[in-house]
Amino acid sequence: MMRIPGALPLGRRFGGLCLVLVLAAAPVLAGCGGRATTHHKPGTGHQEATGGSGTLLPARDETGHRLRELPAAQAPTVRAEVRPDSEGGWNVHLTVERFLFTPESTGGAAVPGRGHARLLVDGRETGRLYGPWGHVPAGARTLTVRLHADDHTVWAADGVPVQATVPLAGTPAASSPPSPRPTEPGRTATLTITGRTVQPPPSRIELKKGERLTLHVTSDRDDTLHVHGYDRELPLSAGIPATLTLTADRTGLFEVETHGSGLVLTQLVVR
Amino acid sequence: MTALLAPVSVPTRALAHGVGSRHDLPLSPFYAYAGAFTALLVSFLALGLLWSSSRFRGDLAGRPLPTALQRAADAPSTRTALRLLGAAVALVFLLHLLLGPDDPDRNPAPGALYVLLWVGLVPASLLFGPVWRLLNPLRTLHALHPPRNPRPLPAALGLRPAAACLLLFAWLELVAPDNTSRATLLTALALHLGVQLLGAARYGDRWFAHADPFEVYSSLLARLSPLGRRADGRLVLRSPFDGLDSTPRLPGLVATVCVLLGSTAYDGLSDNPRWITTLQTSPLGPVPTATLGLLAAVALVSACYGLCAGVLRLTDRELTTPLTSFAHSLLPIALGYLTAHYFSLLVTEFSRIVIMAGGADNAPAPAPPLDPGGLAALQVGAVVTGHVLGVVAAHDRSVRLFPPARAVAGQLPLFLLMIAYTLGGIGLLVA
Repeated sequence: MMRIPGALPLGRRFGGLCLVLVLAAAPVLAGCGGRATTHHKPGTGHQEATGGSGTLLPARDETGHRLRELPAAQAPTVRAEVRPDSEGGWNVHLTVERFLFTPESTGGAAVPGRGHARLLVDGRETGRLYGPWGHVPAGARTLTVRLHADDHTVWAADGVPVQATVPLAGTPAASSPPSPRPTEPGRTATLTITGRTVQPPPSRIELKKGERLTLHVTSDRDDTLHVHGYDRELPLSAGIPATLTLTADRTGLFEVETHGSGLVLTQLVVR
Repeated sequence: MTALLAPVSVPTRALAHGVGSRHDLPLSPFYAYAGAFTALLVSFLALGLLWSSSRFRGDLAGRPLPTALQRAADAPSTRTALRLLGAAVALVFLLHLLLGPDDPDRNPAPGALYVLLWVGLVPASLLFGPVWRLLNPLRTLHALHPPRNPRPLPAALGLRPAAACLLLFAWLELVAPDNTSRATLLTALALHLGVQLLGAARYGDRWFAHADPFEVYSSLLARLSPLGRRADGRLVLRSPFDGLDSTPRLPGLVATVCVLLGSTAYDGLSDNPRWITTLQTSPLGPVPTATLGLLAAVALVSACYGLCAGVLRLTDRELTTPLTSFAHSLLPIALGYLTAHYFSLLVTEFSRIVIMAGGADNAPAPAPPLDPGGLAALQVGAVVTGHVLGVVAAHDRSVRLFPPARAVAGQLPLFLLMIAYTLGGIGLLVA
């Protein structure tokens, strides 16, 4: 049978190429770093995530957020001033440089010079500021203000978080009783770890999507609490109850575990 | 290299599936009952209504694909390109593993092994046939120094080495502590390379088809692919039943299938809070307890099958190989389990791993692709579909092997076994 020279090799090569392409689609993506179009939250395209958003450090701050380092010349700075409020507590004023409060894009990707501030009262996170002014209730001794990126990582320069700490001197705590703890909304679970035993034993906490959950965890050793899927971490000090609050906004089954002892404390079933 | 020197610095992870922080929701009773009922109904309808003489023709069946396509697929350049592709991807994997950070949240290597390879091979093999055989970087490595006169492979070996390797891989994935740490993965990789390359140096490259766990896994799943080879070598489109029917009855096939079924069942069990409590409070320690649990799951699945084969042998003295004669009908059941357990893991983690390999840090895990109801329906659907395919495959085989008078009674034990597996599988999805 006669064949047109050249035609067959081309067809063969083309067919082979097709097969190769089809067979290879998955592994090739892994290799060459193609931009996969996937499900992104608004504002988390790859342009922002990869392009000049600083270096993500392995270190975490005490609330479990990763540090994101920028060169010192580009990193934002923050100063905090406080003055007593007439009704109690303190009014806080932040002076920031190279930084813009962007409440509308919180939860998106990190962009240098944008984000929000978090207030840590006596080392415990109490709230966020989406602008330069805020208020801290009475009863606190020190206030730390830390700048976070939109993806909740902490802006850092030279490996240190960008933050300002001010003493809340002359606290009018003696004159007025400390305000009662605000009641926490949503579900609450109390877990105690003794050795390798978890009390109550691991079970499932059923939550509706969007429900809030507060976990009170006491461990008999220093450890780290980790909520899988929500990627929330909380340092645990031996014998001291720690509290973690989260909003169950993803459906699925998630494990709550300790990293040091590798124990599963409970499972969250979010429907 | 710090991880090799100081593995203590790696945070201990609870024993669980290697990658993926989101597990599927437990099934609601509605889906579980619906699935169980369908499985029972289908089984008994099949007994009464299915054909009475064998219809599947194994590797004689199939509609040939155009010769141009066959030539393209068989072209040496295609084969070489696939080999190079497999080698390139393996090299990227190795470099990530060696040089990347020792953190599965930032290093794509653990996810590439546990999700892209292990879970991704399921759809790839179903669509395109035994792909790992074509991509396998170990074959490429072996081809650089092929042995001059390889010994013949002992006939009794069959798929037994692969079954053992698959069990070890299941242990690594489901039981081993720190199974995403660099030190563990490098050790496992070194072990795998050693066993496979030494075996291939002795027996030649046919060793891989019998001992490489990923190749055997991919080839067995490819039995259900519409693409296949006929006995005369033609590339054909065929019914998955014919592909299944042509599964070679090698020694060790039963063991391999039982390892697949048992390890997936153990993965389901390991989400159960009661099992977690047992693990954490066991005086033996969590790793030995989990190892025993995995072995017990495989042993239970195998014992059920062995019992069934024993009953079959009792009903028909002429059936000399009751074990391997029906092993192929368990493959769709294993596939149903695998789909039910790993579908959402593949879909959610796939893009995350690819984004990570592309260099982005802090890649967000995308939301699950289906709402909880849709996912539950898919899981039950996968298990029940696997059951139906298994029942049909077993029926056809039994009407071929048994005399017509005993064909219906002969397959009863098999049907009961499949119902037990399916109800067990659904039960694990509820728990």
